[in-house]
Amino acid sequence: MSKRPMALVWLSSLLVIAGTIALIVVAIVVDDNHPLSTLSPVGRHGREIAELINPIFIVAGVVFFLVQGAVLALWWRFRVAGSDAGDGEFGYYEDDEFPEQVHGNNRLEVAWTLIPTVLLAVISVFTLIALFALEDVEASDEDMVVTVIGQQWWWEYQYHLDGNTDTAPDFVAANELVIPVGVDVPLDIKSRDVIHAFWIPKLNGKKDAVPGRSHDWVIQAEETGTFRGQCTEFCGLSHGYMKMVAVALTAEEFAEWRDNQITAADMPEEGTAEHAGWEVFSQQCASCHVVNGVTSPANRGGDPESAPDNWDIYGEFNGVYAGTYLETDTLVAGAAPNLTHLMTRGTFAGSIFDLYLNAGAHIPYLELAEKGTLNRGELEAWIYNAPERKPADADNLRGMPARTGLSPDDVDNVVAFLSTLD
Amino acid sequence: MTVTDGAITAPEETLALPAGPVIANRPLGVFTRPQGNEGWKSWLFTVDHKRIGVMYGAAAMFFFLVGGAEALFIRLQLATPDGSVIGAGTYNGVFTMHGVTMIFLVAMPMAAAFANYLLPLQIGARDVAFPRLNAFSFWCFLAGGLLLTSSMLIGGWFQNVPDGGWFNYAPNSGVLFSPHKGIDFYAVGLQITGIASLVSSINLIVTVLNMRTKGMSLFRMPVLTWMLLITQFLLLFAIPVITVALFLLMFDRLWDANFFNVAAGADPLLWQHLFWIFGHPEVYILVLPAFGIVSEIIPTFSRKPLFGYHFMVASGIAIGFMGWGVWAHHMFTSGIGPLAVAAFSVSTMFIAVPTGVKILNWLGTMYGGRLRFTTPMLYAVGVVSMFTIGGLSGVTHSIAPSDTQQTDTYYIVAHFHYVIFGGIILGLFGGLHFWWPKIFGYMLDEGWGKAAFWVILIGFNFTFGPMHILGLQGMSRRIATYRADEGFAFWNMVATIGAFVIAIGVAMLLWNIYKSTRDWRRAGRPDVGPDPWDARALEWMTASPTPEHNFDSEIEVEGLDEFWHRKYGKDETGRVVRAAPTSEVAHDGSNTKVHLPSPSYWPIVLGGGILLVGYGLIYNLWLAAAGVVLLVASIYGWILEPPDDPEAAGHDEDGHDDGDGHGDADSNGDSAEAEEEAATVG
Repeated sequence: MSKRPMALVWLSSLLVIAGTIALIVVAIVVDDNHPLSTLSPVGRHGREIAELINPIFIVAGVVFFLVQGAVLALWWRFRVAGSDAGDGEFGYYEDDEFPEQVHGNNRLEVAWTLIPTVLLAVISVFTLIALFALEDVEASDEDMVVTVIGQQWWWEYQYHLDGNTDTAPDFVAANELVIPVGVDVPLDIKSRDVIHAFWIPKLNGKKDAVPGRSHDWVIQAEETGTFRGQCTEFCGLSHGYMKMVAVALTAEEFAEWRDNQITAADMPEEGTAEHAGWEVFSQQCASCHVVNGVTSPANRGGDPESAPDNWDIYGEFNGVYAGTYLETDTLVAGAAPNLTHLMTRGTFAGSIFDLYLNAGAHIPYLELAEKGTLNRGELEAWIYNAPERKPADADNLRGMPARTGLSPDDVDNVVAFLSTLD
Repeated sequence: MTVTDGAITAPEETLALPAGPVIANRPLGVFTRPQGNEGWKSWLFTVDHKRIGVMYGAAAMFFFLVGGAEALFIRLQLATPDGSVIGAGTYNGVFTMHGVTMIFLVAMPMAAAFANYLLPLQIGARDVAFPRLNAFSFWCFLAGGLLLTSSMLIGGWFQNVPDGGWFNYAPNSGVLFSPHKGIDFYAVGLQITGIASLVSSINLIVTVLNMRTKGMSLFRMPVLTWMLLITQFLLLFAIPVITVALFLLMFDRLWDANFFNVAAGADPLLWQHLFWIFGHPEVYILVLPAFGIVSEIIPTFSRKPLFGYHFMVASGIAIGFMGWGVWAHHMFTSGIGPLAVAAFSVSTMFIAVPTGVKILNWLGTMYGGRLRFTTPMLYAVGVVSMFTIGGLSGVTHSIAPSDTQQTDTYYIVAHFHYVIFGGIILGLFGGLHFWWPKIFGYMLDEGWGKAAFWVILIGFNFTFGPMHILGLQGMSRRIATYRADEGFAFWNMVATIGAFVIAIGVAMLLWNIYKSTRDWRRAGRPDVGPDPWDARALEWMTASPTPEHNFDSEIEVEGLDEFWHRKYGKDETGRVVRAAPTSEVAHDGSNTKVHLPSPSYWPIVLGGGILLVGYGLIYNLWLAAAGVVLLVASIYGWILEPPDDPEAAGHDEDGHDDGDGHGDADSNGDSAEAEEEAATVG
């Protein structure tokens, strides 16, 4: 190939490479529609992490271009053209020209050992400062502590309004962690079975939920909003379907939400579809799911009188309820999401499905139950045959079993009952 | 350096042993040594380090195709949101087996292939220190690999496959959470491949330390030999750690022990520490051989010595030591406490320094050289370029606060694929093209080789480049699918297309092997000569393919790159000139009077015994008992078989030395291996 076409090949390759890099940079900088992105943090911690790493990304980018540029430049400058036959007198080289036989250069070696060392030493100082600042969980002015408990394949949140995690929580929620905006909320992260990791990327980095251990973490949102999360430690069959949501509300909204969560559910009137649904629920679902006030493991047969109206249904606050290790020889109530206020949540089934069809229509979080259009098809399908929607190993007490024995009417009634839980 | 006009015109000294007395009573049956070096049986019973190396390479390529197929299924499942190509359960098995296969059954044995084939040649030895143990290492590895791979088929397609990830964190690996037998296969299979690695590492360390040819001091060894030596030391200390972890796991799963049972008070972080104390040095076990290969290829095609040889060796040793002090960077979010996180964060940052030194030395080698971009050189420069990307993203992980955002996301997946594929696999493929003529006696087609390289490189970057973006956009690892509204669809589709481009590239590479072999046969098997690339190290100083006895005579080494300095010297003006034709310098493989270790039945039988024990532990202890019987019997057979067989091929009329076995011990000791071998079986 003559020189001109060769130069054209090089020029066009360079243009393609530069264009690709430009596209990628644009794709990263324009960070719309990535609800889990670490690149546009909303929480204080996420922002501090981004402020630490972004300059390092730039330094790494510079080194990247220097090294790749050097490779290309050396290639361009020192390549020898010629036949590929490799059968000349000089082996693969057909000529007797040799470059200068340089064996090394000690000054250069020392330089390119010391320069990166110094560069990394500088980076390490900033890293350590940020590291200890981020680990400083005590810096909260909020009394409330939320015990976060991972379980295959959903999250439970136990709200301790007085900050004492050794006593029974004031109320319990699932999958959607609601916090007041602008406040550092301490989390106490635990697991009931295997290792999970709690991660709301826009707010803070992740922290593992390790069975038998309790990990302090903290979460804060600088703006109100709904932030997605995903379990990020492989936790078995449905790991990919173990998601969660953090919702930051204003202080007033949070107080309203909190006061509602503490209340128990109302018993549906007899003779209604809701009541029929409650009967099915008590038979089929209440072994695991608790609805404060109307079901408990004690009233599996359906005696509402024996159903306590608050958290004390769990009696002693210990064992599995406190987030210690779950020995799963038997199923126990509370080992599935508490559904007392299901309709106040935007998602269900480990936050993999939207509970409302018009969730994208910016309905205020507190008005979801009132204004949302129930995602009835998905909810009914879930009740009827959950493992089809989200892989589960119900035979081994992992995940929600199928209830394919239910008639369409039963399913309708259960949905009617669940619709009262706001 | 002065002109070495010491072209060897006659063998300096033959390695033949004096004839011993003829033994009248020869042992019978299996207690003789097998004979012949042709036909498939000769491969089963071979103890020749070169054949063992070829078998390691062939097995690794087979497992590479298995692991690659698994990768394609992963990419198909993730190509679109809510993917349903394979279900979540199968997906977990597939990504677990992809990782286990690619690390333990591809990268490690492919490096072992080069180690076995080249290491004795590069130090001028005739074989490894313990040839039968070497054969056993291979069969033991193959037993473990087949056992692991068979888990995909036994009891139904992907029904009993390990599904806890290659890292297999407790307690998810317990019977309670993974009741089928998959993780038993993992625990037993990796213990078996671990035995193979451990035996092999001891063998190769002894080989390098004891069997170097005259004048081959440590700092005259090629960098590849150095990197392989460091790798063997890392294996020697790392494999026992994972073996302990696997042993505990096996007792937990098979016999109800409580090492990782949280209900009985265990702390699951124990597994993490044990696994990563092994797992991080493992990264360097994988990458150092590739670095060694690159350090052989770049000088050859730059027509210059390696820049900063001593710094290359020292940085390899530094990596070897520092690699032990960084394991907890895999555990920054596990709750090990801020002080431990800080310590491991800093130690991890600084391991980038010796790695960077290597990159810069390769660039220094290229600087001012006469660069010939052959296929091996393309792969080697590909390593320099791609590994740099993996190294830079590695530094960003060492920033512990940032790692809490990145760990277990696709950013990590991108990082280690740039290291393992961009660094290790490209390096090993480069080595494959570079040493192919030495191993098989003909060149691979350069046109197809280059085309395959470019297709693989482009596919690789389109597969793993986007994963950096996906990870930063919050896509977690090991998730079987993702929601459409999470914004991951576009780059996942790009990555899937890229993966199939890699598959096309690999197919081109395999086609090249087939086509080149066919063309070579059609052309009447022309001789490629000992040194087709004008290379530098001793393995090029003998005929291609390497004769069974390696070198016709013992080589006396006077410096680094001995072979090159025998070919070239300097004239009065300091200009490099040809000192002697290659054909005069190199051996032609014509000396058949070389004493060689005889083949043996027992290494493969011993490997079979271990395979039975493995299946027995998983399924039925009686089967394990039968395996133990076979194992013990083969050890006895190993001890009782005669040290040598005079009729074995490659031997000569004066080889009646069985029974007495007292060869004259050379200074390098390699002719005394029959005794060494006999002495070590106990």
